[in-house]
Amino acid sequence: MTSLVRIELLKLRTTRLVYGLLATAAGLTALFSVLEATRVGGDAPVSTAAGFGSVITGGIWSLLLAAVLGVIVSSGEFRHGTVTATYLLTPRRDRVLAAKMMAAAGAGAVYGLAGWLIATAVGLGFVAARGDAVPLSAATIARYAAGHLVAGALLAAIGVGLGSLIRSQLAGVIGVFIWAIVIESVLGSLYNSVQPYLPYTAATTLAGSTLGDAAFGPAHGAATSASPLPFAAATALLAAIAVVIAAVAARTTVRADIS
Amino acid sequence: MPVIETCRLTKRYGPVTAVDQVSLTVEAGQVVGFLGPNGAGKTTTLRMLLGLVRPDSGTATINGRSYASLPAPARHVGALFEVSGFHPGRTARNQLRIQALATEADEARINEVFALVGLTGVAGMRAGKFSLGMRQRLGLATALLGRPDVLILDEPANGLDPEGMRWLRDLLRGLAADGTAVLVSSHVLAEVAQTVDSVIIMNSGRLVAQAPIAELTARGALEDVFLGLTAANPTPSAPEALR
Repeated sequence: MTSLVRIELLKLRTTRLVYGLLATAAGLTALFSVLEATRVGGDAPVSTAAGFGSVITGGIWSLLLAAVLGVIVSSGEFRHGTVTATYLLTPRRDRVLAAKMMAAAGAGAVYGLAGWLIATAVGLGFVAARGDAVPLSAATIARYAAGHLVAGALLAAIGVGLGSLIRSQLAGVIGVFIWAIVIESVLGSLYNSVQPYLPYTAATTLAGSTLGDAAFGPAHGAATSASPLPFAAATALLAAIAVVIAAVAARTTVRADIS
Repeated sequence: MPVIETCRLTKRYGPVTAVDQVSLTVEAGQVVGFLGPNGAGKTTTLRMLLGLVRPDSGTATINGRSYASLPAPARHVGALFEVSGFHPGRTARNQLRIQALATEADEARINEVFALVGLTGVAGMRAGKFSLGMRQRLGLATALLGRPDVLILDEPANGLDPEGMRWLRDLLRGLAADGTAVLVSSHVLAEVAQTVDSVIIMNSGRLVAQAPIAELTARGALEDVFLGLTAANPTPSAPEALR
């Protein structure tokens, strides 16, 4: 299994896409963190815990792109026809899927950490510019780092399962964006009780966002009656989703003929 | 014992029987040409041999075992398919480095194989920039990296220039002389006649001939024999048509 993961990591390292997506994640994180830091004011300026938390929410772009990376890691094999070579090297397709999930999780963790680093740096920069004290404890900021890391890793693993199931890279990538940006925003605002259990939302709360902060459109920042899942519960939820999707893929599309 | 063997191998796609009870053998040290019109079922047969397509019935074995149950299959079997899949953004050298991790080949072997297929000067180039002929050579390099004792090649002559064809012929003959079993599909009958020891011909999913090349060409030119055996060639079967 170790050699399979090494193969998948080498595949990741030797394409430009992984770096391009990371750069995109970094750019979007920086942009939205700065916008948020500039926008916050009134009752919750950047040097308050709530305001600083909003700025850190910019890092969730890295989580979304970690999921996209996961989709591309698996569906890209079909897009480029490399799946034949992959299964010739390793006929045990379920092991290939597992190795891909592990490798993508590693890259997703890096994406998540990069998002946290940039968003936190922007927040600290704005706080320092105002001459204020950092409003969050070091432990809280460290928890956000761990949350970004875990959420990035697990969303990437979920993405691999989805890509294996769908096989179409374009449909998979579009599906991730529509799910995260549209469907979860709508579902979360309509049904507050399910909001904490929606996978992308759970990932963002793991990373430190308050419920609703990761939503788009009218749902963004809307009041909610629900509370975010605790760290361990959100982690377990995302891991379970990754395992279930992978198990379904392993029993269906992964077994299909490569012709 | 045959190195490559199929026994009553059958694959159906809906109402179409793409491969119909095909039994064939390839011995060590032989180059066997695998011929047939488009849609005859050659590629499907080769993919079943390599575990990529699941047969509906029958068996396909290499050294007496299914491909998936071979220990380190990529070290025993080198394969090249008509549409060689390479990530366009990855360099040729990195393509082989990935293969090397599974075949336990080192950097020296990678360099050796690049030299063998004539790609040393372009090893650092991205595969997306390669011509069809260069992609075929890279595919052959991938197949040969693990020093396999079995080679299964689907249309390796596609895109090769005359010099490349001669190089491929010498390569396959040389490998067979060293004991490698080679099963190679092709549409270039004149080239096949010069390269192979024996020929397997499929038509409409069925095996219509398996004989030494000398025996077939004794009946006339290989092209005439081939066209005679495949005269009633129906429309392409499902897997070819779907591709």
